Amino acid sequence: MKSWFRHPFARAMAALALVLLLGFIFNADGAFFKWGTHSDMYRAISVYGILACGMTMVIIIGGIDLGVGSILGLSAVLFSLLAIRQGWPPWMAIPATLMAGAVCGLAAGGLIARFRVQPFIATLAMMVFARGLAKWISGGQKISTVIQKANGDFMNVPVPAVFDQLGAKILHGNLAVVTVIFLISIMVCWIILTKLRWGRFMYAIGGNEEAARLSGIPVWAMKLLAYGLSGLFCAVAGICQAAQELQGDPEAGVSYELTAIAIVVIGGTSLAGGRGGIGLTLLGALTIGYLEKILSINAVGEAARLMLTGVIIVGAVLFQRMRK
Amino acid sequence: MMQSVLSTMVKAAAVLAVAGMLQPVSAESANPAKKWTIGMSQCNLGEPWRVQMNADVKKAAEAHPELHVIFKDAQNDTLKQRAHVEEFVAANVDLIIISPKEAQPLTPPVVAAMHAGIPVIVLDRRVVGDKYTCFIGADNKKIGQAAGRWIVQKLGGKGTIVELKGLMTSTPGQDRNSGFREGIKGSDLKVIFDVDMKWLEPNARKEMESALSRFSDISLVYAHNDPGAHGAWLAAKAAGREKNILFVGIDALPQEGQAYVKQGILTASFEYPTGGREAIENGLKILNGEKIEKEIVLPSRVFTAETVDKGGEWLK
Repeated sequence: MKSWFRHPFARAMAALALVLLLGFIFNADGAFFKWGTHSDMYRAISVYGILACGMTMVIIIGGIDLGVGSILGLSAVLFSLLAIRQGWPPWMAIPATLMAGAVCGLAAGGLIARFRVQPFIATLAMMVFARGLAKWISGGQKISTVIQKANGDFMNVPVPAVFDQLGAKILHGNLAVVTVIFLISIMVCWIILTKLRWGRFMYAIGGNEEAARLSGIPVWAMKLLAYGLSGLFCAVAGICQAAQELQGDPEAGVSYELTAIAIVVIGGTSLAGGRGGIGLTLLGALTIGYLEKILSINAVGEAARLMLTGVIIVGAVLFQRMRK
Repeated sequence: MMQSVLSTMVKAAAVLAVAGMLQPVSAESANPAKKWTIGMSQCNLGEPWRVQMNADVKKAAEAHPELHVIFKDAQNDTLKQRAHVEEFVAANVDLIIISPKEAQPLTPPVVAAMHAGIPVIVLDRRVVGDKYTCFIGADNKKIGQAAGRWIVQKLGGKGTIVELKGLMTSTPGQDRNSGFREGIKGSDLKVIFDVDMKWLEPNARKEMESALSRFSDISLVYAHNDPGAHGAWLAAKAAGREKNILFVGIDALPQEGQAYVKQGILTASFEYPTGGREAIENGLKILNGEKIEKEIVLPSRVFTAETVDKGGEWLK
């Protein structure tokens, strides 16, 4: 094995190439060679990818965030309530939803940073709590443009323009707006992790928290930052989800945290913390996205799909680990 | 001194509040003006269809001032639901309505309730054996067949179908699939793409995108639930092909399927009735000592653009 292969980026590329190779072989009568197939996949993976952006920082700092799927659901419901039911303009509804997501992340981060609750426990609690809150504020029903009147009848209100704008495709229908938002999220994380001091601090804390503390790094503040940003990205993802579904589903995002973690890990970011990067997460998102897409265009059954996904994830990770 | 008294009071209040939250609602605490108390055990209020079921039960019960209904939601947890039934028996309710999560593990508590002399109405999903007072449910297979026959007629017996299946490891998914395949038998309809979308709209959209990129000619999408059909429509709309494809779903909840038909998104939605109203009606008969059928299969309706405002059309 050549030395370049030791670089995590090259290994993540190799895993992606492996999955792409499967696509070339099982191309479903040429469907895999159409640009539309790829553009659809980028759209479908974007919401997971946005979650994975926040997850990357949390994992680099040595933590884990199990609450992302639930905060996504809560944000989708809240955004729909504000924009559809309350008629708030987007410039109010979007910041309010983002703030709610960030507060959820900060709450979990506060438990972890200040009260030394283990990240697994604190974010598990947030996962349950945020899901409950989403169900409570929505009354257990999807928040759509169909509204029940006092007499029990249903009426239909128009979809707010912001939903159509965020759910649309640009460049002559070739690129989804949510994909652009995903790429911006990647850029933001890239700047934080590589261009700002915060990024160095996060790697240091994930590598050796005690050493980081002794060298004067504000550990608790950085943890708050990481979890708060993760919550913020969940809200971004929740808004994208609601815009694409034209409704806020209190069940949205169930088990998305697992996909987000899988994206980060398959990219090559270490679950132990301190090692990895956002570029790897982008490659991880593409790998998982293409895997799902290839199984989908070939109409593989659910049971086989689950087993194959498990096998291929393990295969890709082992492939990454290969060393001379 | 004052402070410690205050803090004791606060603590006592907190303990009481917590105890109040934890205590199961008992029949004793029910309104004494009500003649009968009904315990309604729902397996999972996470599904809109089941929320609708509870709403139907509530609405039907409100028409009868002598009824008091206690609702419990097991949150998709079999053991929790088992405990709920046992709590109803302990509280000595007059009737239990249960929509069980699964048959085998929930049979013993139902049998125990029957032994305690409490009549039990089983809704939607079955329990094992015949130790219950009445089963009320719809037939997914018949609804699938009806959808198949309706689609054959609508397309003039010819065309290409994308089938978005609920989940082939679940009975409703299997029945809605096999019924549909029987319904289209003998016609020239071809199912060109069929996949599981796990009843979820985002998944349905992803799968439909794959179908759209593979096939340039799709006549109709048959989805095992309305959110699935809606997700497929969203995919087709993004590809600019929604006008050339018909979309058919199942469930026909007023705020989902029926609304989608009204909006012109779905061509048809087939009702999968919740049985909530029927449970209360038959429950009243049981409580009044009348005799009722042990097995009640609910009739279903189809909603199309022409019939949706008139309350749909009953299927034969």
